[in-house]
Amino acid sequence: MNGAHDLGGMHGFGPVEPERDEPVFHHEWERRAFAITLASGFLGQWNIDMSRSAREQMPAAEYLATTYYEHWLFGLERLLVEKGFVKPEEIEARVAELRRQRAGRAAES
Amino acid sequence: MRVLTGADVEQAIRTSGGARVHVELPAKFKAGDRVVARNLHPLGHTRLPRYARGRRGVIDRDHGVFIFPDAHAAGAGQKPQHVYAVRFSLRELWGPEASERDCVLIDLWDDYLDPA
Repeated sequence: MNGAHDLGGMHGFGPVEPERDEPVFHHEWERRAFAITLASGFLGQWNIDMSRSAREQMPAAEYLATTYYEHWLFGLERLLVEKGFVKPEEIEARVAELRRQRAGRAAES
Repeated sequence: MRVLTGADVEQAIRTSGGARVHVELPAKFKAGDRVVARNLHPLGHTRLPRYARGRRGVIDRDHGVFIFPDAHAAGAGQKPQHVYAVRFSLRELWGPEASERDCVLIDLWDDYLDPA
């Protein structure tokens, strides 16, 4: 599809600035998103091209404003919902729970 | 349904297959052939970049037979076919102000290409 992922030739993103001693993951959640994606792949319910296709379904404006592993997480959630492993309400409930926990911790400190 | 357990992770990662398909299939093109990338705009997944569509290039080499991602992503099977490194001049892709001596090599499947 002619989505935001097909960036070749687009202007306006600024220079590519390689990071010195770049870590494999910048945040712990990225490590988890990567691991869960690979582990879920071994369920055998989809293939790598379906995974890439799922990431490309992210709305274009959102895609350009988010990071690599946010794309991965979007694609994974989409496939897990599509194949009936999880309901969108379950993901929303978990996100709400984590938000409450974080707000609680912020209030304590 | 398969389930990956902790003990199996290393072996599973090491042996999970790539996209190469070990079958003999006739190649539509050979090194040196002139080709044009089709002007395709599929609604599904494709690995034919927009900037290459409708552009003329030359087959640099034949990589062999691979799963066709467009079909595979759509759940339509592997549709194995040859993949080639196709050489496009920078000027063909980006116009007369691009560098004269540089080129881009793009890996493209048989179904993305026509003879030119």
